[in-house]
Amino acid sequence: MQEFMIFIKTKGDHLKDLSPEQQQAHVQKIGKYIGGLMESNKLKGAQPLEMKGAIIHGNKGVFKDGPFNESKEVIVGYFHIVAENLDEAMAIAKANPMFHDAEGTIEVRPIKQMEGIN
Amino acid sequence: MTGGQPNIANQIDHLFRHEYGKLIAVMTKAFGVPNIDLAEDVVQEAMIEALNKWTYHGVPDNPVGWIYKVAKNKAINILNREKYSRKYVSEVAPHLQSEWTSEAALKRIFTDKEIADDQLRLIFTCCHPVLSKDSQVALTLKTLCGFSIHEITKAFLTTDSNINKRLVRARKTIKDANIPFEVPTGSQLEPRLSGVLETIYLLFNEGYNSTSDDSLIRNELCEEAIRLMNIIVQNPSIKSSNAHALLALMLFNTARFISRMDELSNSISLEHQDRTKWDRKLIKKGLTHLAFAAEQNEVSIYHLLATISAQHCTAPTYETTDWDGILSLYDMLVEIEDSPIVQLNRTIVLSKVSGPKVAIAQLKNIETHPSLQGYLPFYTSCAVLYYQNHQIKKAIELLNTALKLPIGKHRKSLINNKIKEYSKNI
Repeated sequence: MQEFMIFIKTKGDHLKDLSPEQQQAHVQKIGKYIGGLMESNKLKGAQPLEMKGAIIHGNKGVFKDGPFNESKEVIVGYFHIVAENLDEAMAIAKANPMFHDAEGTIEVRPIKQMEGIN
Repeated sequence: MTGGQPNIANQIDHLFRHEYGKLIAVMTKAFGVPNIDLAEDVVQEAMIEALNKWTYHGVPDNPVGWIYKVAKNKAINILNREKYSRKYVSEVAPHLQSEWTSEAALKRIFTDKEIADDQLRLIFTCCHPVLSKDSQVALTLKTLCGFSIHEITKAFLTTDSNINKRLVRARKTIKDANIPFEVPTGSQLEPRLSGVLETIYLLFNEGYNSTSDDSLIRNELCEEAIRLMNIIVQNPSIKSSNAHALLALMLFNTARFISRMDELSNSISLEHQDRTKWDRKLIKKGLTHLAFAAEQNEVSIYHLLATISAQHCTAPTYETTDWDGILSLYDMLVEIEDSPIVQLNRTIVLSKVSGPKVAIAQLKNIETHPSLQGYLPFYTSCAVLYYQNHQIKKAIELLNTALKLPIGKHRKSLINNKIKEYSKNI
């Protein structure tokens, strides 16, 4: 078993093309998906992020505050899961209904495991 | 829609008894055992909110669902408002604190199976050996049975402030001891379960033998003990013949409870009880659990006591009771627990088999034992034996001693009647 971070990225309001009914159905599907992950003890945590914040570029102690542009692709939330391997983690990411009705990017990254200290 | 304050209060009370312990159990899982006080606050607030709202707007169609929803919302709000000021030692708390996962997490912790498991976990938490037996009983009544402090006070014949202090101490001990919210497994289960059974049996006996005059509270204690035992035996993770035996014992005794209500004590009244008033449904349930209890080759005190009680319950009349059979069960009981009270009860049975004279001779071995001094059934049962042996003065003397015990008015008047009755036959 290994832990993975799944970052969810969208550009702007990715649900704007859905009708209120479709949006409701969409939310329900996601609820079911999350319930299933919990049931199988795969979910360690998942949280959405606010659509605001800051981008900071640092270089040798010099920081430049960049604009936060939500019309560009930004991280909107994360899932922290456990899976056998990257393949399973990718399958879990694709089963997330978030982008079954809309467009977005999912970044699946194994959390680095601490090596044993001798 | 139902109007009228008393009616609403009644309905809430009913809900309380049935849902309180369940909700506390689920909330304890959500907040973690150290925050058991918070769980109690949330459920109490939800109940108060129900009382206020329903008084003006009537009781909703699904009152249980309503209470659950209010409790759920309160839980989510507290978890998010006090996200950092409290430490939630709970696996679900982080899920309940996220907009994405809170709904799914709530749904998950409120399934029937989870609620049943949480109640079992809470039973093991409240009956944890770090707590004194008195504290275990008080905490169980407060959190699992929804008793108010005042009701616990009435059951224990003590003061509200005493019970309150006991509960505050118990919660602190639980917090400090870092007790996990779980049912023990493996080799730990057996000893912990046996402690739990002991506590619930104590709680039951508090109702069954209590010196309190308040029959309503006493009945409720017995009912609650049976409800807790049902939670235990119905859970698939517990396979205990002792638990079935104890539940059988409680069912048999409760089946006879109503008809012995106005009597002095079980040993005196059994003869005069109207057996048609015994609750046959409870006896039948008791026999079912006794059969489960017999499936494993185990003989505990509960097995023996339940079998003795079953003998009484199934005897068509007092005269046709299988006293020989009961005596041999008592002989086995003495082998496991040679206490003065068991000896006393054995002596009463012995009098049925061999007459009062032989029984009185046996009494000599136990009558000076300190644990029988002040024990009401000792005086009343011995009085009967002496009366049967035509030692009426001695019988009256014992009853007069019993009158000096701290017992309720009702019992006192029953003893006085007995003295009058005996005096006529001198």
